[in-house]
Amino acid sequence: MTLGPHLLLALLEGTVGGLVLALTALGLSLVFGVMRIVNVAHGEFFMLGAIVAWYVSTTAGSFLVALLVAPLVVGAVAVTADRLVLRRIGYEPESTIVATIGLLYILQQVVLMTYGPYARPVAAPVYFRIDFPWFGYSGYKLIVAGAAGALLVLTWVALSRTTLGLYMRATQQDREMAQAFAVPVDRVYTTAFAVGAGLTAVAGALIVPVQQAHYLMGLDALLMSFVVVILGGLGSLRGTLVAAFVVGLSDGVVSVLFSPTLAKIVATLLVGLVLAVRGRGLFGEEGA
Amino acid sequence: MTRERRGLVLALHLAIIAVLAGLQLVLPPFHHGMVARIMVLAAYAIGYNLLLGYTGLMSLGHAMFFAAGMYGTGLTIHHLGAGVALGFLAGLVAGVVTAAVVGLITLKTVGPAFLIVTMMLAQAFYLATLYFNEVTMGDQGFILAGLHLDLGGHRFALANPAVKYNVGLGLFAICLLGSLWLVSSPVGRIFLALRENEERTRLLGYNTARYRLVAVVVSGLISALAGAAYTLLFSYVGSTFAGILYSIYPLLWTLLGGAGTTLGPLVGTLLMTYVVDVASGITTGYLIVVGAMLVVAVLWAPAGVVGGIRARWARWLP
Amino acid sequence: MGAVAALSLLETQALSKRFGGLEAVSAVDFHLGRGEVRALIGPNGAGKTTLVGLISGRLTPTSGRVLFAGRDVTSLRAWERVGLGIVYTFQITSIYRSLAVWDNVALAAQRRHLGAVADWLALDRQAVARDVDAALATVGLADLSDQPAGALAYGHQRLVEVAMALALRPELLILDEPTQGLAAGEIEALCRLVRDIAGAATVLIIEHNMAVVLQLAGRVTVMDKGRIIAEGTPREIEAHPEVQRAYLGR
Repeated sequence: MTLGPHLLLALLEGTVGGLVLALTALGLSLVFGVMRIVNVAHGEFFMLGAIVAWYVSTTAGSFLVALLVAPLVVGAVAVTADRLVLRRIGYEPESTIVATIGLLYILQQVVLMTYGPYARPVAAPVYFRIDFPWFGYSGYKLIVAGAAGALLVLTWVALSRTTLGLYMRATQQDREMAQAFAVPVDRVYTTAFAVGAGLTAVAGALIVPVQQAHYLMGLDALLMSFVVVILGGLGSLRGTLVAAFVVGLSDGVVSVLFSPTLAKIVATLLVGLVLAVRGRGLFGEEGA
Repeated sequence: MTRERRGLVLALHLAIIAVLAGLQLVLPPFHHGMVARIMVLAAYAIGYNLLLGYTGLMSLGHAMFFAAGMYGTGLTIHHLGAGVALGFLAGLVAGVVTAAVVGLITLKTVGPAFLIVTMMLAQAFYLATLYFNEVTMGDQGFILAGLHLDLGGHRFALANPAVKYNVGLGLFAICLLGSLWLVSSPVGRIFLALRENEERTRLLGYNTARYRLVAVVVSGLISALAGAAYTLLFSYVGSTFAGILYSIYPLLWTLLGGAGTTLGPLVGTLLMTYVVDVASGITTGYLIVVGAMLVVAVLWAPAGVVGGIRARWARWLP
Repeated sequence: MGAVAALSLLETQALSKRFGGLEAVSAVDFHLGRGEVRALIGPNGAGKTTLVGLISGRLTPTSGRVLFAGRDVTSLRAWERVGLGIVYTFQITSIYRSLAVWDNVALAAQRRHLGAVADWLALDRQAVARDVDAALATVGLADLSDQPAGALAYGHQRLVEVAMALALRPELLILDEPTQGLAAGEIEALCRLVRDIAGAATVLIIEHNMAVVLQLAGRVTVMDKGRIIAEGTPREIEAHPEVQRAYLGR
């Protein structure tokens, strides 16, 4: 293949990757924006979505049902974690990070003990190829891209048009004011956390026919979400979307030209340095 | 800790070291090896505690420093044929350099941002050990054979359990007593002040940035010392020790044992190493205890075991 | 005392501080003579704490200069200015609650003795101890020295703060609303303390309590909306029409 088609392929892969990444990372950004906390277990919600999707597809035989059940189950897990742990520590930033690390291990190891250490595939619900003159492209991937895109639009609409969305935006802007206006902040927090988990769970579910479901897949999702959210600006949903595209496209390029490991090294270093430089005051009321 | 109790405190610490020394005579082989390992890891926790408990900075990247010590020592011995002493020194230097770089990068970073930045930097370090695997052998790692110390005409094989135990004990004792000295020193006071109120400390005339950097470097140095010792005593170098789990372990040990206490790191390391060991015999998902204990610590025991004891019965404990 | 240039300890030149859209301190020319006890008064939001923050180095100015003992210190950070003798005590008591009273003051006292890195190891603990004991004796807290500072009554915590300031051997001591939250007897004691200190240091005190101002201050500077609107003896200020408008017109 010459350069042109190569670029087209890269573009397609990048778009699919970018949209899925946007959907994966959106929850992390939303949770940070509304609750001012970093959920280190975010990647495990992604993984859980994939695992649940595998279970449901395999037992119920319908991928569509899996897509519906996964976010609900993962959302429920998130609500439990919020009620039992996060609310009790008052969403204190540092403690929350430690607690969500704990949650990360708990979720990951439970899956290891039940689902096992193997990667298992799910057959794509539809199988067709788009045949370009130079290569064939998986139709399912395009559907994934479409689904991710649709969900992103839906989320945007929900945030800007519904009351719940209004509450979330108000809480994000100014928590005390929101409370003064009788916004049920506690419930908004729990909902934001559940929605964040649900969105990333759907991303995990969508991706299962392409990648397989594996108990360690959350770590990569977490890292990439961090990269996107921090580069895009913590708490900025628009920034997250833009960063997801940029990262999705460039990650593909670097991985192909160099090596995936190198790409990750660059990404992690970049995030660390950007945050170190811009980190002051990014995390709300943390003093000094 | 008040000035009157200094004698009692020192006696307590020496007694604990004496108990550890005496234990080697009664412990069966498996536990003998475990305790040797725990002492080296407790030294790691002491290094971590310097930053968390005394300066108030929670890091998720200390595996960088531990691994710098490990690789500094291991690579020098394996690839350059250096002896144990030179290798150890190389490990310490690697630790100091890594810590200085990280300290400078994070000079203005605090709180949650510091957690994430250190986590990212450590992750990049870990990936680098995998990337350069012609040199580091990556995940698989490599073994150092025939390590020995030549002292006073005698050759001590580091693989010998008794040697392992006593070298580990010696290093731990140095770190424990060192941390005790630091805490009661004027400089230790400054670190405590930094933890509690950074702005106030600046307005007392202290260049807090410089002290922060010193704290990070010393913490990194002690962690690297533990890493170098671990390599020498257990003859193995591998990427696993640069991974995120080895950054989470010292956090867990210190938190559970009691951050900001001199004895907390030992207690936490002892407790959790055994808990993890027992759990690993029960299930493949044994790391779940790490997760569970982190949550438990955050929810119910933020002061840790020794911190709780101190608050309730012994306010004079450092 | 007049603000004669030769005796001037502190001088600000066209000092300004802008926070976003708000100009908290606006082109202020402030002079403080050596040995003065000056009160800085004004309604809330006048810019007093901001001005004092600029002098102590907590804040960096948007424009203008700060001169101390004839030297331009504008680019020096807070911790460097303490070394020169500019000492600030916080409006809201800011001591180390988990440390003993003795350790709180020791942190201040040892600062003067810690120069080179070698000093860390060979610190003259006797000298530090003497300074700490002296400061604690001056404020009258000697028997509480082993208590954790956070366990003390508010009035005593205030005194710890003053002891820390004393241990720093200030040239210019800036007290930010020192009598706030104190009972009448404690205010009396604090005033006596300030008068003692004024013998050895220049004092700049932000106060709302006019009785204290009348007792302690040699001269008074009045601020409103980021500017100095009047300056004079306490009596002159009391009768000043601008001042009355600023305070009463709220």
